[in-house]
Parts: sequence; structure tokens; C-alpha cells
Amino acid sequence: MTKNLPTAKIVVRDLNFFYGEIQALKNITMDIPEFHVTAFIGPSGCGKSTLIRTFNKIYKIYPHQRTAGQIILDGVDILQEDSDHNRLRAKVGMVFQQPTPFPMSIYNNIAFGVKLYEKLSRSGMDERVEWALNKAALWDEVKDVLHRSGYSLSGGQQQRLCIARAIAVKPEVLLLDEPASALDPISTARIENLVIELKKDYTIVIVTLNMQQAARVSDYTAYMYLGELIEFAPTELIFTRPSRKETEDYITGKFG
Amino acid sequence: MVVRSRISGSPPRTYSMADLVFKNITRFFAFLVLLLMAAIIVSLFIGALPAIRKFGFGFIGNAAWNPVTNVFGGLVPIVGTLVTSAIALLIGVPVSFGIAMFLTEMCPARLRRVLGTTIELLAGIPSIIYGMWGLFVFAPVFSQHAEPWIDSHLGRLPLIGPLFSGPPIGIGVLTAGLILSIMVIPFIAAVMRDVFEVVPPLLKESAYGLGATTWEVVRYIVLPYAKVGVVGGIMLGLGRAIGETMAVTFVIGNSHRLHSSLLLPGNSIASTLANEFTEAVGRIYTSSLIELGLFLFIITFIVLALAKLLLIRLSRLEGHRS
Amino acid sequence: MRTTDFISVQSRRRSVNFLSQAAATFTVCFGLFWLGWILLTLLQYGLPGMSLKLFTELTPPPGSPGGLINAIAGTFFMVMLATLIGTPIGILAGTYMAEYGQTGWLSPVTGFVNDILLSAPSIVLGLFVYEIYVVSVGHFSGIAGSFALGLLVIPVVVRTTENMLRMVPNRLREAAAALGTPQWKMITMITLKASRAGIITGVLLAVARISGETAPLLFTSLNNMFWSNLNQPTANLPMMIFDYAMSPYKDWHHLAWAGALLITLAVLGLNILARSFFKQKPLGR
Repeated sequence: MTKNLPTAKIVVRDLNFFYGEIQALKNITMDIPEFHVTAFIGPSGCGKSTLIRTFNKIYKIYPHQRTAGQIILDGVDILQEDSDHNRLRAKVGMVFQQPTPFPMSIYNNIAFGVKLYEKLSRSGMDERVEWALNKAALWDEVKDVLHRSGYSLSGGQQQRLCIARAIAVKPEVLLLDEPASALDPISTARIENLVIELKKDYTIVIVTLNMQQAARVSDYTAYMYLGELIEFAPTELIFTRPSRKETEDYITGKFG
Repeated sequence: MVVRSRISGSPPRTYSMADLVFKNITRFFAFLVLLLMAAIIVSLFIGALPAIRKFGFGFIGNAAWNPVTNVFGGLVPIVGTLVTSAIALLIGVPVSFGIAMFLTEMCPARLRRVLGTTIELLAGIPSIIYGMWGLFVFAPVFSQHAEPWIDSHLGRLPLIGPLFSGPPIGIGVLTAGLILSIMVIPFIAAVMRDVFEVVPPLLKESAYGLGATTWEVVRYIVLPYAKVGVVGGIMLGLGRAIGETMAVTFVIGNSHRLHSSLLLPGNSIASTLANEFTEAVGRIYTSSLIELGLFLFIITFIVLALAKLLLIRLSRLEGHRS
Repeated sequence: MRTTDFISVQSRRRSVNFLSQAAATFTVCFGLFWLGWILLTLLQYGLPGMSLKLFTELTPPPGSPGGLINAIAGTFFMVMLATLIGTPIGILAGTYMAEYGQTGWLSPVTGFVNDILLSAPSIVLGLFVYEIYVVSVGHFSGIAGSFALGLLVIPVVVRTTENMLRMVPNRLREAAAALGTPQWKMITMITLKASRAGIITGVLLAVARISGETAPLLFTSLNNMFWSNLNQPTANLPMMIFDYAMSPYKDWHHLAWAGALLITLAVLGLNILARSFFKQKPLGR
């Protein structure tokens, strides 16, 4: 299975994660391939969200959460204490389970992140906002109401706004933590199409509870259980001929 | 569209310095709040030092207050503060409890909002209004219609009789206590209603479902569930009553004599300060007044600290409910 | 036997319930009776004194007509200065407690101390400002009064800011951090902004509270029958009401009642305004 793997964008080695005394990840070792979609599946609480939250060190905003091991992004170990996690996060974007528009206009929701690390002219910013909203398939719906509050949008639109916001800063990796779990089927389909569309330019990691979704959008799938990585393989392999019994049980619904 | 070049193309900006500065600015101001508290205690202590040196611990037990001979004791104002606050709670707590019970369990929904808002707004009326009303309106009525009756009926009772016998002059410790009780009712009632309201409806509904009466629901479901908040509300009211200045100053009578009767004039710490501080001459006189202020602060500190500790212990005993 | 026991238990339960409900209804009437009486008195004595003169003329000596303009202006400026002093301090301290205070001792200790300051007797705060400011500059002043009132504003704003920031869901913080937002920018541009309505409510409630406070001004701003700058003893409504009401002159009493009505209306108005800003229950009382 390693034969045809593309270049690894993120290299994870012996990663352990602790919430205080509780160990949530156990010796995770894997390579996330560049310009592909990698999906994480597994029952709730298996550690898949925890794992992708280490890729941008978002766990760092909470005390008592810590890691041991290595995560190497483009040859640099991001878990080193001295690495600047703000710059890391500009490079590794993330979209969450629930839409989280900021308390500002639709336009500023997008511009906010861009302004942090780039100096753009007014027209440059306008272009960037339009580009990001277009990528997120939201432009046509909001182009006339850009000054309105982000909260005025529907749930599905808000989530696409958040995706646009994440894309606008032009990250290299995009982490999606159950991005469609709170959405209706139509919005979900839009977001799935978006993910497939985006993988040309980005390395995408998606956590999902929905196995069909993983099968539809991803190139590689990882199955996790109780903080361990049980199996990681090309998606069609996982869903047709899983090598581990546990994976098969989960996929065929015999689990639990 | 080339995706990968621009991050490295943009100038590396780091924010760690700005973050550090902002964090430490906010930390400084959080620290400033502590510093303020310390400064209050220290400055009052320094101001009170001459009196503390001269009178020692005897200050608390001494009922003398004589600017001519320069002998001062805090007994009368301290007792006055405690007694007026006790009267205020004695009346204020049951009334507030009844109001909270009415608002949460008996009141029709539409009246509930109106009444609830009214009570919250009344809690905001400046205390000087209560004082003026007490002096000009309540005290004359009280002296004409209530005090003669109190004197001739309650004043005859064994044991508590001396508390209630005296001339009907309208102003005095009892009047001050009554005005205070009226003042703290909106406070305590508003807090009690708030904590009664957070009792989960399911809990109450299941009790009603078993055939419990309104009283039984309040007594056995609401009160145990909300007791922490109720204690907190009472302590808040007590804190208010102890430190209240204007509502008391108008009606307490400003007398430094220790009387057994509540009908006679007295003094509280706050009213003594309000009446005498700007006119006090001489170091010892001023210093004695500041020592009273220090006591007032210490008393409220103790009440609030006890309330906090009690709340922490109660919530520990019960484990986490949220 | 058992049926009669049952019936007597039932009837006792019912009568206890009836009595308690009657008592609760009575307490409501009792409370409203006093408060209604106070408000009626205020209207009865205050309304006749309501005239334009209140807002155009200086406080008079006994026996001559006049208004309250200097007291109104003095209160206005002192309250404004106190709010300007207290609000930034309160917001910054509350921000530390909510955003940086998950670890360490400073946040819980400050919270505890702040709660005590919130209920500290306001007259003691006046005494404190007298001790450290009035004594050292050698005279009473409106600035001293503003300091004392500012000390009342701080704990209210600290408490509200902290509570409001804690109500901001963590996923908003995560979303901001996920873009590489530095914490100071996340706090100033996102979480504080999201809690804006609540914090404004807290500030307005604090303004309402200090507008009617008399006790902290007794030893700080004192009072003044004339115009003054804030570096001199400054006229203000609560002190004017106090002095006039305690005086033996009938016409001063009338002015005191007019002032009392004015200040009550202002305080109630501010309270209502604060509530309309934030429909939920105001915290930080």
C-alpha cells in the first residue's frame, strides 16, 4: 500500500495526546498525503477530532492539554515549543462542526483572517473576498449583502462562509471537523462537492461520522478506535477489502 | 492559480510581542482590583491608627462618645448597625421569600413579567429617597399610629418588653430597621426569584404530577434545589443593609446613647460617619470615625466571605449540578 | 380508622397549602404597598416643584426661588468622569479573568475580592478617597467625588465583562485561533465584540447606580451652591437633596423633593435603557 503513495504533507510519528491525566491518542504514526483528501472515521470519542486538532495545535488554547511525539509539516516539527502556532495556523486552516461566523459583516468575516498576514490594497481585498466566496460556492447568494452580519445567513450558508474564510488566507492544509454534521442534505452535498473541488490546491483532512461521506469524498481513509489508529489505506480498499477485522465490523455495521 | 507561494512571499509577521503586552496590560488591571482592596484596608488602618493606639481593644466595648473629653468608643454605632440590619433581615427575608414564591409558582404568566420587572426596577431607586420618605412621611405616621400601640402592648410583654417601650417620637432604631427592610426587599426578592426560576421545570412537574401542593413543591423541591442561591441573596441583602448610609441617617436619630429600647434614637456606623465626619475636629475624633469605617468594612468583608465560603462548601457537598 | 387519618392528613395538607399561598400573596401586597407609597409620595411632593426653572437657575439661598442647574450639571460631569475612569479598568480586569484566568491564582482571587468590592459599603469608599486624595491635595473636589464613584463602577463592570465573555462559546475562540489570530486580536475584535451588548448593559447599570449615590460624595465632592470646576467642591443632586432635606426651610424641602423625583426618574430611565440593550437578565448586580 505504500508503493504508490504521493508525497507526505504531514508526517505523524508516535503521537500521544493527553487531556490532563486521560490519554486520548496512543502512538499514532501515519503520513497524510499532499493534494488528496484524507478521511478519518470511527465511533464518537475515538480520538479522530483530537488528532486533527493537533495538526494546527488548536488544543494549545486550553490548559492541561498536551502532546508527546512528532508532527512534521514540510520537514519541520510543529510540536516544538518554539514554533509560532499563529503562523502554523495561517498555513493549516480549519473548519468546525458548527458554523462560527464572527460578529461582523460577511465581507469582514473573510477579510479578517487575510489582514492578519497580508497587506492587500482595497481592490486586492475585494478580489480576494470574491475569490474565496466563489470557491466556497457562496458568492452568488451573498454578493449583494456583503455588509450584512454573518449571523444573518442560514446554517448552510454560514458553514460555507466559514469555509470561504478558511480558504481566503490560502492555507496549504485544510482541516474539516465534521463540517456537514449540522447541515441539511442539500448543503451537505454542496460542501462535499466543494471538498472534491478544493483538493486540487489543498491537502484536505476531514473527520466524519458518516461513512458514505468518507467514501464519496476521500482518497484515503483512516479508521480509529479508542485513541488508536486501526487501519489507514486508500479509501476503496478500506471500504471493499479492509485488512483488519475491527474495520470491517465497523464499516459493515456489526460494531457495538 | 498557484497556491503555495504566497505565504512565504508575505513578510513574516509575529504577534507574540503584542500578545505579551496585551496579556500583561489586562493582568495589571486585574491586579489593580486586588491592589485597590489592599489600599482601602491599609489606608483605613493608617487613618485609624491614632485611635487604635489610644483606645486599644476597649474601643469596641465602650459606649462613650465624647468630643469634648476626646473619649470615643464604637459600641453604640456597631450595635446600631447590627440591630438595624437584623431587623431588616427579619422582615425582609420572609417577605422576599413570599414574593419569590408568588412570582415563580402562583402568578399568572403575564403578571409575572410586569411584577418581576417592577421589583428589579425598585431595587435601583436611590437610597436617599427611602431616607427622605422615612423622615418626612413614615416617621410622623409611625409615631402617631403605631408607636403608642407598640409601647402599650409589646412594651408590656415580659423579656422583650424593654425593647418596645418608649416615647413615640417616630425616629429611632426600629424606624431605621423598618426602612432598611423595605429597601432590601426588592434586592433579596429579585435574587430569590432568579434562583427559583432555574429549578428545572421537569423536577417541579414531576412533583406536581405526584399530587404535591404548591407549598410542598416550594418547600421540598424548589427550596432545597435553590438554597445556595437563597443564602447568597440573603447575604447580599445583609451586605446592603449593613453598609447602607442614607436610608438610615435620616431616621435613626443620631444619638450616642445606648438604650435598651428600639423606639429611641441611636446610631449606626454609616450614619455616624455621615453626620460627623466632615465636622469632626482633632486627630483623635477623626481617627475614631475612620476606625468605625474600618470596622464597617471588616464586618461586610466577614459577611460576604462567609457567604462565599458557605456557597463553595454547599456546592462541594452536593457535587456538581451543572 | 385509616380513612379518617387519610382525610385529616389531606385536609391538613390542603390548609397548609392554602395558608402558605395566602401568606405569599400577602407578602406581595405588603411589598408593593410600601414601594407604592414611596413612589406616590415622590410624585405628590416632587411634581409641584417640576418646572423649567430647575434646569435654568442656580440653587438658591433659603427664602428665594431658584433651580438645580448647578447640581444637575455637577452630577452629570462627575458621573461621566467616574464612568470614564471605571469602565476601562473594569473591562480590562474582567477580560483578564475570563480570557487568561483559566490557570493561576490571580483570576479566582480577583473574582473573590471583586465580589466584596461590589457589596462594599459605598461610604467606606468615600472615606478611602478622602484619606488618599482629599487629604493630600488639601481640599474637597468633584474629581475626588468622581474617584469615589469610579470605585463603584469598577466591580460592576468587571463582573459583567467576565460573565459576558464567559458566555461567548469557545468555538468562536477556536475558529479565530484556527485562522492564526493572535490572542489579543481575537479578544479585542471578536470575543469582546460578541459581548458588547452585555457589557454596555453593565456599564449603564453602573451609571444608574452611581447617579443616585450620596454616601461616597459626603467626604469627597461635598456640595456647592454655585458653579464650580471639578477641582473645587462640586454641586451635585444627591448631596443637594441631602442638605436641603435636612435643613429647616420649607422651600428647600420642596426643591429637595423635586430633585429626588428627578434623580429617581433618571435612574429608572437608565435601568430601562440598560434592559432594552440586553433582553436577557442583566448580570453583575
